[in-house]
Amino acid sequence: MTEAPGAAFSDTDIEADGFRVRYREAGRGKALICLHGGGGLRLSRTHDILAQDRRVIAFEAPGFGASPVNDRSGTMDDLAVTMNAAVAALGIERYDLMGTSFGGKLVLSMALDRREPVDSVVLISPAAIRINPAPDIGPHTLYRRPDSPDARREPVSPEVHDKQRALSARLLGPPRDGEFESRLATLDIPVLVLFGTEDTITPPQGARLYREVLPDCHLILVYDAAHAIDSDRPEALSEVVADFLARHGKFLVRQDSDLVYP
Amino acid sequence: MKATLFNSVHYHGATPKDVWPVPVDYYSDEAAAESLATAIEQFRMADELGFDWITVAEHHFGPYSLTPNPTILAGALSQVVRRARIALLGPTTPILNPVRVAEEFAMLDLMTGGRIVAGMLRGTPNEYVTYNVNPSESRGRFEEALQLIRRVWTEPQPFGWQGRYYQFRSISIWPRPLQKPHPPIYMSGSSPESGSFAARNRIGLGFAATHLERATRAAEHYRREAERAGWTPEPDNIIYRLGFHVAETDDRAMEDLKAPTAIRRGTNISRANEAVEEAVANAGYYGADLEEQRNRSRDREQRTDEQIRGRIGRGQLLTGSPNTVLEQIKTIRETLGAGVLDLTIAIQHGDATRRSIELFGTKVLPRMQAL
Repeated sequence: MTEAPGAAFSDTDIEADGFRVRYREAGRGKALICLHGGGGLRLSRTHDILAQDRRVIAFEAPGFGASPVNDRSGTMDDLAVTMNAAVAALGIERYDLMGTSFGGKLVLSMALDRREPVDSVVLISPAAIRINPAPDIGPHTLYRRPDSPDARREPVSPEVHDKQRALSARLLGPPRDGEFESRLATLDIPVLVLFGTEDTITPPQGARLYREVLPDCHLILVYDAAHAIDSDRPEALSEVVADFLARHGKFLVRQDSDLVYP
Repeated sequence: MKATLFNSVHYHGATPKDVWPVPVDYYSDEAAAESLATAIEQFRMADELGFDWITVAEHHFGPYSLTPNPTILAGALSQVVRRARIALLGPTTPILNPVRVAEEFAMLDLMTGGRIVAGMLRGTPNEYVTYNVNPSESRGRFEEALQLIRRVWTEPQPFGWQGRYYQFRSISIWPRPLQKPHPPIYMSGSSPESGSFAARNRIGLGFAATHLERATRAAEHYRREAERAGWTPEPDNIIYRLGFHVAETDDRAMEDLKAPTAIRRGTNISRANEAVEEAVANAGYYGADLEEQRNRSRDREQRTDEQIRGRIGRGQLLTGSPNTVLEQIKTIRETLGAGVLDLTIAIQHGDATRRSIELFGTKVLPRMQAL
């Protein structure tokens, strides 16, 4: 594949909860609603691969990217209500949620706000429960190989960077949030949590906490990936995500064959 | 310093000249049983004499070693060797299932009350034929397997693994290793790549089938890389393997080594099948210092005085009276800084070998351990 990641995705927006919400979309089938990390909307090879078998809708939360400063979302729960309104405005009745880092906490909040239409949740390097309260964030920690094309893409402008940084810091909440975690304990949806073995922003040592808190949680370590697993190991990540979305807990049992010759 | 007795359970019978895989035309059940019984007896002696560790290893399809699965022998030894650590140097992890390796080490650690040393190797080139694994992927498999095994030992919740060479949906092993967080890990580290990886991951390093000068260079590289990674290796982080034979006098030791024996010595597993060795070398198995690595295990004959003195001079053999051998050990300690000597029995010759182990244990070992 020589095209830039996300080249096949449309780029449009929709009115929801008083915001103009931008989203990018590709593929047909069951909807997978994606929410980005604190660095804003960024499509990767993982999105391209997942869109081969499903409808992938990657939202940009209000206040990220080129959208105006978002002072209205006072909490992550407020933003979750807005994003659920955006999903509803697209007329989608059943869907899966996938959130990365900051977006991990956002999609969990969305599922807590509207449980019924959500079949499963995928969390990539989630920042919902954190053991590293002050991570050093930059290309050198986001990517396993800081010289890869993904790591060297044009950075956002300083204004956008500062705006996004302030919004995510305000909404993310404390590293451990007892009230939020006690609500997570009631979330009876299959959840897949993935961490990169080389992640220093949300280190894999914190992975066990998700299994301890969430009632139906599967944990996967992605070898040789840093925080941006979707850029570092797109084939490995999309394979296990797609299998989990299709089969939930049954994904523990292999279906492909080891037959060498018939 | 520490000493570990290494017995590869070399087959004590007639075998054909350099060839691999070694055909079984000559194989004798009696010779195999005698080889195994001798090895277990020598391990028991070493334990009683105060050797710090004993060592078992993995080789396939030949008489160099009757332990294609060293964990099985280690399991038996866990009930015989009561005090010494049991070092597996080691399973050839790239050709095995790493979760299985982690489980077996954990079992052994439980069975020995926490006395396991967990070596993990890429093995000799021929081993890639054994279970039909592409040697060009050996380093990638090795590094991933080692990281996975460490996670398997320490991760407190069931987890899946989405690797390059390995994929598991859910892992949660029982039993757990008794040593916390896990048994000490060693890998072989003659090449610069291996030394750098061991240093980055704070893993001990073992040198085998090499000589003192080369091992010293590799150890210097390892220490430099460790400093860059923010730590300083201890002497015990380095194991050096070499042959040994001790007798009452220097002359007697030389005569023992030259005495005729039914067991072929000096067989070089890597070179026993030139086509296999070359194909594996061409697959990039050896890394950056290819020629050096390919040649490092040559010159292993010990039939003449000159050959024996050459091996002693290169630090490949400890031979002589207890006093002489202690001086040879001091030279290795000063040059290489290794804290553990992995002592290969240089010749299997009944009473002479038993006497050599006894002399080492009573006359050399206490003074070596005080170094």
